[in-house]
Amino acid sequence: MDGGLGERLAATLARWWPDADGIGVHDLAPIPGGFSRETFRFDATVQTEGAEERHALILRKDPPDSVAILHTSREVEHDLIERVRASTTVPVTESLGAEMDRSVFGEAAMILRRAGGSPTTTDLFYGGPDADQADDVARHLCESLVELHGTGIDTLDPDGALADPRGVGIDPGSWQSYMESTFQYYLDGYERINREPGICILLDAFLTLRRHPPRPLPLAVIHGDFNPANFLYGDGRVTALIDWENARIGDPREDLGWMMMMDDLSHTQVMQHPVDEGGFLAYYNRLTGLDITPEELGYFILFGTSNIAIPVNEAIQRRVDGESREFLHLYLVQSSVPALPGIAQLLQYPGAPS
Amino acid sequence: MITTPSVDQLLEGVMLAIEDEIVPSISNPKAHATAQMIQSVLQGVRQMLPVLDAQLAEEHNDMIRTLRETAESLGDAAGDAADRVRERAATFGGRDELPVPVDREVALASYEELGHAIEASFRDLDELLRDGVESAAAAQDVVRAHLMPRYLRDVASIKVHEGFVGRS
Repeated sequence: MDGGLGERLAATLARWWPDADGIGVHDLAPIPGGFSRETFRFDATVQTEGAEERHALILRKDPPDSVAILHTSREVEHDLIERVRASTTVPVTESLGAEMDRSVFGEAAMILRRAGGSPTTTDLFYGGPDADQADDVARHLCESLVELHGTGIDTLDPDGALADPRGVGIDPGSWQSYMESTFQYYLDGYERINREPGICILLDAFLTLRRHPPRPLPLAVIHGDFNPANFLYGDGRVTALIDWENARIGDPREDLGWMMMMDDLSHTQVMQHPVDEGGFLAYYNRLTGLDITPEELGYFILFGTSNIAIPVNEAIQRRVDGESREFLHLYLVQSSVPALPGIAQLLQYPGAPS
Repeated sequence: MITTPSVDQLLEGVMLAIEDEIVPSISNPKAHATAQMIQSVLQGVRQMLPVLDAQLAEEHNDMIRTLRETAESLGDAAGDAADRVRERAATFGGRDELPVPVDREVALASYEELGHAIEASFRDLDELLRDGVESAAAAQDVVRAHLMPRYLRDVASIKVHEGFVGRS
């Protein structure tokens, strides 16, 4: 029924765990949702010297190139997760390994331990069943982000793999070169995705960002998709920060801006907590002394939106050009239109909704 | 041309067939989500079709006005970029407005050309703003004020329901 996927998983784990006498794969099932990777949950039973252990695991598999939206490496993601585990107290689950040989799973893939805790972060807010944990979870989430941003780039990325993980010409040699090369990536990308002049608001956004850069801050390893759907929690703690596929060297305000936007879109209230600290940004500022303003986060909401707008529109372009038959990429046209008034609002278009 | 069933009826029929004949047989979660996305896109197309020609003509005609007013807003600003903005006002800004109903093929071609002229205005206005030409900000607002209601209308036309299939 699984096309031999279970057998291939067992064989891969047997290579990674050579001391095991036998490995079985059970309860293999796809996890619905999420567009960027194909994800499966399964349990592995491992027999060693007469004893048996059961491991709760996840397979994260790349989609085919023509279908993929974010072209990043599972090996780089695996290496980062393991360095975060080894060098920080940021909660992440162990990554067992990356299989980059496409002949094994059809595409590059990685296997991780399944995180404990609840993924239903909406339960923390608006009087949900876990609302009593909201402050403590947000506090721990903020402290984890501060620790991630404060950990040396050389520690988490000694070989420079996160400098330009999409291979699009980003130069994080300095804050200025990072910003300038990112603006160039946006503007070059716009030429590739320019199927429709109606999306010229993106061009306006890219040019406006370039004209009005904020003050420089030290670059850091950023999560890259820090949002309310990408952490799990339990007993007032974050149990795992997940989905590190877009991690890279960047400006720490990118993570905060993305959370601020996704918090609004997800109808969650991460940014309002911990209440006794005056909210997430105030607590982040107290821990770091960076004094980041809401206006700066507005800038980085636009910056982060631009960062995802390019690969999303490239995927749409590939579909329009007939390089793939993925219906999702047509659907993205429809589902991305509602973001345009929000971009207009950030750019302060006359008549934009408040 | 065949008018019965209408395009809307055909699209509704496809949606119903997916709902009644295909969805009940789907066990794969990705295929199920794709079926939902197909229905959502089809519903968006059904909502867009009745207003497409009128919106096309209205936006086409408003782009002509916008290109003229963008140049007027620049005042006596000097330089190559400002000259290019004025050139667009003289050419695209002098076009005839489209009547409704429109010749779809002619209208789409003209619409696309005007769209690229609006797009090019952003590049020139950016150059002028970086050169400190103050009137370019007002000119940029003319373009933005033209686009804003278009985006709001696009959302109203295309949005089918809250949320994003596949994101829980």
